[in-house]
Amino acid sequence: MGWRYRPGRGRGPEKARPAVTEKLPPEVLRIFHEKGFSAPLVGVTGGKGGVGKTTVAVNLACALADLGHRVGLVDADVDGPNAAILLGVPLEDSRPVTIAVPVIDATRCTSCGECVRACRAHALFLPRAEAPLLLGACNGCGTCGIVCPEQAVGEEQRLVGRTYRSVRGLLTLYSGELVPSVEESTLVVNGLWQRVRGEADAHDILLVDTSPGTHCNVINALRGADDVLAVTEPTPLGAHDLELMLGLLDLFELKGEVVLNRCDLPGDAGKILAAAGRHGRSVAATIALDAQLVRSYAEGTPVVRAHPGVPSALSLGRLAADLAARHLP
Amino acid sequence: MKEIVVLSGKGGVGKSSITASLGALLAQRFRLVLADTDVDAPNLHLVLGAALVRSREIVASEKALVDHERCTGCMKCREACRFGAIAGDQVPVVLAYSCEGCGACAASCPEGAVTIREVANGRINAFAADSLRVVGGELYLGEGSSGRIVDLVKREAREEAVSTGADVILVDGPPGIGCPVISAVKGADFALAVTEPTPAALSDLARVLAVIDHFGTPFGIALNKADLHEPTRASLLKLAGERGYRVLAEIPCDLSVARALVVARPFVSAYPDAPASGALAKLAAGVMALCAPAGEPQRGAG
Repeated sequence: MGWRYRPGRGRGPEKARPAVTEKLPPEVLRIFHEKGFSAPLVGVTGGKGGVGKTTVAVNLACALADLGHRVGLVDADVDGPNAAILLGVPLEDSRPVTIAVPVIDATRCTSCGECVRACRAHALFLPRAEAPLLLGACNGCGTCGIVCPEQAVGEEQRLVGRTYRSVRGLLTLYSGELVPSVEESTLVVNGLWQRVRGEADAHDILLVDTSPGTHCNVINALRGADDVLAVTEPTPLGAHDLELMLGLLDLFELKGEVVLNRCDLPGDAGKILAAAGRHGRSVAATIALDAQLVRSYAEGTPVVRAHPGVPSALSLGRLAADLAARHLP
Repeated sequence: MKEIVVLSGKGGVGKSSITASLGALLAQRFRLVLADTDVDAPNLHLVLGAALVRSREIVASEKALVDHERCTGCMKCREACRFGAIAGDQVPVVLAYSCEGCGACAASCPEGAVTIREVANGRINAFAADSLRVVGGELYLGEGSSGRIVDLVKREAREEAVSTGADVILVDGPPGIGCPVISAVKGADFALAVTEPTPAALSDLARVLAVIDHFGTPFGIALNKADLHEPTRASLLKLAGERGYRVLAEIPCDLSVARALVVARPFVSAYPDAPASGALAKLAAGVMALCAPAGEPQRGAG
């Protein structure tokens, strides 16, 4: 279809369009909120990229550890994992995340084409009178093996990512990393959670830092969260994307508050407060963009440790103390 | 027709601000269509102050649906699902946010009680500001299959370019390196990688360059907020020199960029004399040279 454009200048930015979302079924919500461990889990997310999610998560993790709590920090931004860089620790204790992709046994295959027709990713190709070839982006769903009448589909493991675990004192950092050119970030987020869940209760509290956006990956990272911090900035883009994120938190009935980062950027903090108000959320912290925060970000020395007296560090320290008071005995 | 995609790996380094200003400058010389493929947080129209002119829902996702009349509760579907998208003990519950629509559940159901249905997962919107046209995608909250929305946005932008005789499609890409980024890169003639001089941004830049390189797409780099951290800037420039990466422009830290967001105009239009606008002119010249019909774009590396 062809779009028609009105001549002349537009009438200014459109209001955020609320997505068509029905209320989720109660059983879906109940399962979403099953965490699988008892330590409290706090999500750090935000919608827009680069608003300071990882900065907030890393500094809260350090501040909570420095208060004497055992902290697990989960960096679930597997497309661009940066928590280790901001903490100044290397990625250690690597484990592969693999998926099972089909290997067709040509001696059993009758070239019936069932697997090719069943593959909704269109990853299988059937050359004439030969066994199918795996050519496209396989997500390892296993449907080809289910439908093959000859049991001709075996499997081999293909690497899609890695998970890491770096321990520094009371703080344990778990990171996931997607192999570049692999599409499905979710596979690595799930692999990371599988690793974390097994040892979650060795920590007093867990923090999970998500990727930007409001898609299924962010939702998977926030599963079971007891509390969520939606980080934003006062620019019009920050306000727009915060509205989307708060809509997501409402939809999944997640508790949570707003963190206004870089509060001194040009913009309108009033719009952030209004968005928070529309969703019944309060602003848990306001963080200034001071020079020490920028430097500590670039140098891998969290500001709450490197410059504990500057305004940004004080705000982050207070937020950590609030979380501890709310979630830890 | 040339298709240029703007990527960064890391979010919030200035992709949309730079895309809008680059678009405003390119539009002085070329017929241009802009595309916003950051379907999770579509912001390009806000940066441009563009008004919505049309919107339609798109059906680009597939999800499992259980017919509970036929279901006997054998839970073979749950065993077959490798994405943890089916829960429940006696009655299968489909967790739509995890469902990939792969059909393993449907294939394994002995009662034929599971089907894969197409579902609406977003919208394609058209915006206009001055002479600029924007085709943008929007993913519904918590939905998946964003890569397929990106494919549709790009298809729509190409049709728009053909029907308006446009020479250039400028695509604002999503952050990250996953499926929407791969869809954004596929078919592009040139990738502009925006970064800033911080270790986190450089780490993400390396990852997105690996994806761009996987598709053999020529690229150049725009270093935004170039004076944010001198030691990291120096290491980026050294690395770029060693690898033969072309740094097309260095855009200084400039509050005009953020102020332009408040007035919803590209910063080159709102503050033409600002230092960032001067740097953008250089960037546009670099990109224009690569888009000139006479000369094919050259490789970023090599």
